Amino acid sequence: MAPSAPSINSTMSSRMATARPSSYRHKSEKRGMTYNIMLVGQAGLGRRTFLNTLCERAVIASPEAPNPETANVADPMKFDTYEVAMEEEGTRISLTVIDTPGFGDGLDNTSCFKQLQDYIEAQFDEVLVEESRVKRNRRYRDHRIHVLVYFIAPTGHSLRELDIELIRRLGEYVNIIPVIGRADSFTVEELDAFRANVMRDIVYYKLPVYNFCWDETDSEALVENREIMDHIPFSVVTCDEVFDNEYGSVRIRRYPWGTIEIDDEAQCDFALLRYILLNSHIADLINYTEDMLYENYRTKKLEVGGYGENDEEEDDDEEEQALGASKKQE
Amino acid sequence: MSATEASGNPQATAGGIGIANLPNQLHKIVTKKGTNFSLMVVGESGTGKTTFINTLLTTELIEPLDDATRRKKQLDKTVDINIHKAELEEKMFSVKLNVVDTPGFGDYVDNNDCWLPVVDFIENQYEQYLRQEQQPVRKGIVDMRVHACLYFIRPNGHTLKPLDVRAMKAIGARVNLIPVIAKADTLSPTALRQFKKRVMDVIDAQSIRIYQPPVESDDDNSELRNREIISAVPFAIIGSTLEVKTEDGRRVKGRQYPWGVAEVENDQHCDFRKLRSLLIRTHMLDLISTTEESHYDKYRTTQMKTRKFGEPKPKKSENKKFREEEEALRKRFTEKVKLEENRFRQWEQKLIAERDRLNKDLEQEHNLVKQLESEIEAISNAGSPNNKFFRK
Repeated sequence: MAPSAPSINSTMSSRMATARPSSYRHKSEKRGMTYNIMLVGQAGLGRRTFLNTLCERAVIASPEAPNPETANVADPMKFDTYEVAMEEEGTRISLTVIDTPGFGDGLDNTSCFKQLQDYIEAQFDEVLVEESRVKRNRRYRDHRIHVLVYFIAPTGHSLRELDIELIRRLGEYVNIIPVIGRADSFTVEELDAFRANVMRDIVYYKLPVYNFCWDETDSEALVENREIMDHIPFSVVTCDEVFDNEYGSVRIRRYPWGTIEIDDEAQCDFALLRYILLNSHIADLINYTEDMLYENYRTKKLEVGGYGENDEEEDDDEEEQALGASKKQE
Repeated sequence: MSATEASGNPQATAGGIGIANLPNQLHKIVTKKGTNFSLMVVGESGTGKTTFINTLLTTELIEPLDDATRRKKQLDKTVDINIHKAELEEKMFSVKLNVVDTPGFGDYVDNNDCWLPVVDFIENQYEQYLRQEQQPVRKGIVDMRVHACLYFIRPNGHTLKPLDVRAMKAIGARVNLIPVIAKADTLSPTALRQFKKRVMDVIDAQSIRIYQPPVESDDDNSELRNREIISAVPFAIIGSTLEVKTEDGRRVKGRQYPWGVAEVENDQHCDFRKLRSLLIRTHMLDLISTTEESHYDKYRTTQMKTRKFGEPKPKKSENKKFREEEEALRKRFTEKVKLEENRFRQWEQKLIAERDRLNKDLEQEHNLVKQLESEIEAISNAGSPNNKFFRK
């Protein structure tokens, strides 16, 4: 079987009616499906706890206490990578999560967007170079970001400039799924109103969030996807403790006035989002990244960079050219 | 004349001379005059400032914005100062209340110096008061000096953001600053305690000046209450103007979640009552007097050291928007100059190319002429007999 050439897998899965992860049989038998998620959002919106709750184990430890002496200086944005081997409904997923602490936390955050864009483009460039090699690396690992989960602050009004700019700039490079972090600050009416406001803003500013209905050939899935789109942005509440009762273990968050059950769909969209990210739509997200986003990027890049036939001896020159082309792109 | 104990004078008669009645006189005067109170709320949008004010005053003083106005503000990149005036009356006592709102604070991608409009406003009010005081006719002074500034901290569960630190430092040096944790119902009790502690650690480490209410009081009860209030700083608040029903059937002001009701006036849930007590019930006059006596006085002293009596304040044009526009214009100008230079250079090159071409043509023609000349000579030399012929 030919190694991971992207085109082969995408045609295979687009022939399937509902792209379930089990269709990636040959890949899953080896090391698990390669899946890369990026989490972006300001501090305090629950990114870390989201990751831990998503993977059902403590992937990221709590950060150490911040130093009060340096509270007036913002930490620059970092990219922290965490690798988790997951198994969902019999499919093994080799999940990589990239966290971006420091995003939007400084006084002037204009440089954050460029950093994110550069990072995502760098992953694309790596694949571009790899594809064009004569001798391909059999153990090559695809680091392209398949989905970016963006945490919106629960202001209760509508999107802020930071949110609008981020989605605008990165929507053409990666699938963006907006979620409302700390959604337990909303009552039911407030959540509906906020969701409506955000959707209105998304339509008004024509923001490129991930369109679940991009594949119009599958009519069944289309109905399901339209229902899913009604939940955008997804409300996320993350779990503090796991409580064991007679039905098993329940993930909860406890307040003096009540307790939230994270997995209860009536109370928040976390369970739905998890299912979408790790089960039902994993193939769609990967396909869209590979077939549309990456291909668009590749076309733009090659039109400018002028790639040609490559030889192995010219690998160094070709890499230089790639750098030169990406510099020209900037 | 009320008969109260004499002031330590052993010879005083049972009646006294009536000095002890002064508080009653003051009471009557103040009741008639009413008082003037200015409160400022500063914080990012969506932290519950409007709801808090409306909850505090149990009346909808500030209306929520509609879509069109909000959208105009989203990408505006400026901080506005909005003043809402109200007159509150309770049991024959009236307060002229001014609430100053700051939409746009901390809402943008670049929030550098976003606290400058706030600080400028505070100082301008001091300036206005100073000028009015120096007028020959001092009746009817309009006093808009800010007596308390509530800074709404977004509960991110870690610590204060750099923006919060810088803004609070600048504001706390000029006005009574009271830090408030907004939307406290998103933090669990342990997280809230930890967050409060961290915020206070940063406030201490960064030397941010916040309002310290006086603790000592004649009454033991109020002293206890004061201590409680001080220990609750920063105040965690929940705001709600709606009345909801709790599980045990009470009707309270609160927020109804699917998993329970968070009550506004319940001390276990939030510090709203303590903050209300601080702002209105117990410490309003202290807030007013510290503003007048220490903050305003400090401003007055520094200004009078450098300015003469009656001179206007030197203006700094620190308007950020102008600076940005200036930068943009400058960039456009340099770009245009570059474009023109390029055009010029290209034109020059074209001229040179043209000249070279013409020179080449000229050379070619020259060569052709030379060639023809040599041919003619050759022919003339070769056909010399004929020449002799023709020459005759």
